[in-house]
This record gives sequence, C-alpha cells and structure tokens, in this order.
Amino acid sequence: MRRVALAVGLVALYALPLAGPSEYWMTIAATACAFAVLSQGLNLVYGYGGLMSLAQVTFWGLGGYTSALLAKDLGWNPWATLPVAGAVAALAGVGVGYASLRLSRHSFAIVSLVAALLVQLVARDWQGLTRGPLGIPGLPALRIGAVVFDSATRFYWPMLTFALVALAVMWRVMRSRIGLMLLAIRQNEPLAGSHGIDALAHRLLAIGLSAVLSGIAGGMFVFLLTIVDPSILDFYYTESMLIMVIIGGPGSFWGVTLAAVAFTVVPELLRLTSELRMVLYGVVLVGAMIGLPAGIGGLIARRREKQWRARLA
Amino acid sequence: MTAGYLLQLLANGLVIGAFYALLAMGLSLIFGVLEIVNFAHGEFYMLGAVGGLLLINRLHFDYWTTIASVTVMGACVGWLFHRVLLRGLAGRSFERSLLLTLGLGMVLQNGALYVFTATPQIVRTEFGVSSVLLGDVRFSVVRLLALAWAAVGFIGLYALLYRTRIGQAMRAVAENREAALIVGIRPERVARLAVVVGIALCGLSGAALAPVYVVTPTMGLIFAFKSFAIVVIGGFGSIGGAAITAIALGVIEALVGGTVSLVLADAVAFMAMIVVLLLRPLGLFGTGVRV
Repeated sequence: MRRVALAVGLVALYALPLAGPSEYWMTIAATACAFAVLSQGLNLVYGYGGLMSLAQVTFWGLGGYTSALLAKDLGWNPWATLPVAGAVAALAGVGVGYASLRLSRHSFAIVSLVAALLVQLVARDWQGLTRGPLGIPGLPALRIGAVVFDSATRFYWPMLTFALVALAVMWRVMRSRIGLMLLAIRQNEPLAGSHGIDALAHRLLAIGLSAVLSGIAGGMFVFLLTIVDPSILDFYYTESMLIMVIIGGPGSFWGVTLAAVAFTVVPELLRLTSELRMVLYGVVLVGAMIGLPAGIGGLIARRREKQWRARLA
Repeated sequence: MTAGYLLQLLANGLVIGAFYALLAMGLSLIFGVLEIVNFAHGEFYMLGAVGGLLLINRLHFDYWTTIASVTVMGACVGWLFHRVLLRGLAGRSFERSLLLTLGLGMVLQNGALYVFTATPQIVRTEFGVSSVLLGDVRFSVVRLLALAWAAVGFIGLYALLYRTRIGQAMRAVAENREAALIVGIRPERVARLAVVVGIALCGLSGAALAPVYVVTPTMGLIFAFKSFAIVVIGGFGSIGGAAITAIALGVIEALVGGTVSLVLADAVAFMAMIVVLLLRPLGLFGTGVRV
C-alpha cells in the first residue's frame, strides 16, 4: 500500500510539467524542490543533531557562487562544477562546526550566524572575485547531449531528481545507526559519550552531509536563475528554512518535507511583498516558540503518544 | 602615509570600538544573567537610530533631548521585551530563546524596511557638519559627542554593576546562578534589569551614532555580527572582556580598512573569532568551565 502510494506520488511529481502549468508555477515547483533539500538539511542538523545552524544559507550560497565562478570564469561544464560546489560547502560547514563545537552548542549557533553574515559581506564587497552587488550574469544552462534545461519547465526534472536523491540519502541516514546516535547525543550528550559515541564526529558528519547537499542544490539552482548575486545569501532563506523545520516539526522527515512545499507555495498565493512576508514569518516564528515549540509534527506525535498511553491504560 | 592619517584612523577606530563595546557589553550582560543570546540586539540598535532620526528630523528635537529620550525609550522597550517575550522563557531551552529573538529581529528589521524603505537617511542635527581640530586629527562634532556618550554609557554601566546592590546581584547571578538563588537573590528582578540596561544601551548607541553615519533599516546587521564575534572572543558572559575586545577590534578594523582593504577589515572579527575558538575556546577573558 505504502509502496503504491510512493510510486503514484513519484509519477505525479515527474508528470507535473506535462499538465501544462505556466513557467511561473514551474519556477515555484523547482524552488520547492530546492527548499525541500535545504530544510531537510537543517532538519538533519537541528532536528537530529540538536545544533541550531544559521549557516545553511551559506552552504547553499557558497555552492551557487562556486558553480557560477567555475562555469563562467574557467569555462567548466556546469555538471562538473556541482561536486566542487558541494565540497566547498562541506569544507565551510565542517570548519565552522569543528571550531565552535569544541566550546558548546551555543557557540555553534553564534559562530554559524557570524559566518553567514561574513560571507554575505564578502560576496557584496569583494568585487574582484564576486563582481559585487551586481552579481555574475549570463550563466549557461545545464544540458545533457541535445537536451538543454533552459526553462523552468525543463529544469524542474533535474532539480526534482536531485531533490529526491538528496532526500532519500538524508532519510536513510536519519533511519540508520548514525541517526539514532545523533538523537542519543541530542538527548543526553554525557550519557551518549559514556557509551562510547563520539559526539563531535557524528555532529560534523551531519553538518557535512547537509552542507554537501545544500551546496549542490545551490550550484544547480544558479543555472536556472542564469545569474548569481548576493541575494542568494539573503536571510530570507534562513528564515524560510527555520519556519519549515519549526512548523514541520524538528526531527519529523515528512512534516518538514510537506512544510517546505507548503511554505514555498502559500506565500506565492498570498502575493505579499517580500518585507511583509518576512514580518509574517518572524511573527509565526515568535508565536511558535511561545505556543508550539515542537511544531505541528511534534503536536501530532504527542497526540499519537497520548492515544497509545490511553489504549494501554 | 602620514602620521596624521594614522592618528585619524586610530581615532575613528576608537569611536566605533567604543560602540561595539556598549552593544557587546549589553549582549554579554543579558547572556550572563538570562542565558539567552539576544539575536535581535542589532535591530534594537537600529531602532535607536531610527528613533533618533524621527525625533530630530521630523519632530525637531534638539540633540541632547533626543539622545536622552531615545535611551529612556530603549529602557522601556527593554522592559516590555522582558515582560512579554523573555519572562516565560526563563530556564527553557536555548534554541527556543534563540529562535524567538531571531524571529523578533526579523520582524523589526523587515517592518522598518516596509515603513522606511531601504534608502539611507541623514540625521540633521544642529551641529551640522562642523568639526574641531585636536592636534593633527579632525573630529566632526557629532563624532566627538558620540565618544562622550559612549563614555557616559561605560561609566553608568560600571557604576551600576560595581556600586549598587542590584548590580552586585546581577554579577552574582551571572557568575553562579544556583548560589545566587540560595542567598535569596530574586532572579526575575535581576533579569528584568539586565534586559532593560542592555536595550537602553542599544538605544543610546543607535541615537548617538545616527548623526555620525546614515540610518538604514539594515544597519543593525553589521553591528550585531561584530558584537557576536566580540562576545565569543572576549568570553561568554565576561563583560570586561567584551569591552576590551570591542575597543581593540574597532581600532584594528579601522587600521586594516584604511591601509589594506575594507573587505579584510570586515573579515578580521571573524578570523579572530575562529583563531580564539581553536586556541582558547573559552575566550581571551573567559574563566570557569565549559558549558
């Protein structure tokens, strides 16, 4: 039953462009794929690893800039830039994690924020490398043989494929021993340590994996935009990811995935200006922290637990 | 490069460093007492500057009244901030307070962007662009006054922390929460005062620096970025460490920015933070054990 549903869902996802939606809606669909990877990456680091990372946008942006520079300045094939984009992002993630986790989870949150702001500044001010606020326009499109993915409708297929692979990898890791150990570390680090679990190594692994996938997603996405500029490092992405993970429920794979799609599509339907959208997200974040700290996913999990307990009693 | 130019850079660095210090000390105070990292700190500073802008340009207040009123308003906002948002979080998880203050910061910043747009605005004080010559160094009057305000902020904070009972209680809670509770210090009163003082310092900094630079809704980001790095470098919760680090950073940034490049100047704080974390994770002035 489950498999059938999954298969039908997959076919529907791949058939979406055939239903003939506009370029606008296909851009949103491709963005939703990217956000699914980004927010699931944050979910792996925060929901499982217990680390509040504010540098996920940096991994995505670093990936975007790396791919853009390699393709534009060195003339690389766009596909070949993607592994490098992932590697650069991973290096940044593991570097920030290694330096700050020696102190505490708290310092990780702060250092990741400072890293995110620094990369924003560098992208804007290091004109020699990044061309400053104007960005790097005229990026080539992804292509396989004679097929050029130069419109959102066509780009959607490779983006969807990557998103599915990335989600599958993260799902696998969350369900594996590594995921269990991350949960153990999150719940009680000294106890986990006394059982011989290396907290730092597992956390760096989670950060590294989410950075690689976010970096590749960013690298791919700039070939749809055909331009990369400092707005790819904008706080807008951080806040969206946080909303998706918090409302979806940290640690809940499907909750976060659904929230990623919902929070990409719904704001488009509301047609808010970007400032008002950010204000609204901020209010939702503050409200959720006061009233609903485990998100909707957490609420459902708690209700289910209550039902189980009632049945046992 | 002349000695005069170097002195000018040093002087500019000193002013900016003094304000990094005021913000970082407030941040450190709030962290020490409440164990909350206030990610909206930079936005409160921005609000202070916007307040100064409105009072001077729209309501035609004079310079002195403006700064005094914005500081008092900052204290009131701090009281409200503690009462409505932070009070319920006492002793709860670190992530909740982080996301709450981050969300609040986003609301403030984007709300300001929506209302005022991103166009930088100039505050026109009665001093205009007049300047004084001290030795070889030319100071604009508003910059010199800003330095004086920073000194007032320092002395006020020092007097509060080291010359009053409630200030002593604040230091006690920051140093050892359980022991402070045992001797009968009321944590909520102390926490409220810490937030009030921290946000009042944001208001003071914003209003005093608004005439020196331009006012934009995104101006808080860069100050927040530097203050966080300073708190990490100086050691979490160490108020004196934050002050020394901040002034040193301001001067180093000005020197690097004036002689090498502006990009490198912004990166100095981050690089120093990473080096300190690798060599001395508790910070240059940190004491005690890791938490």
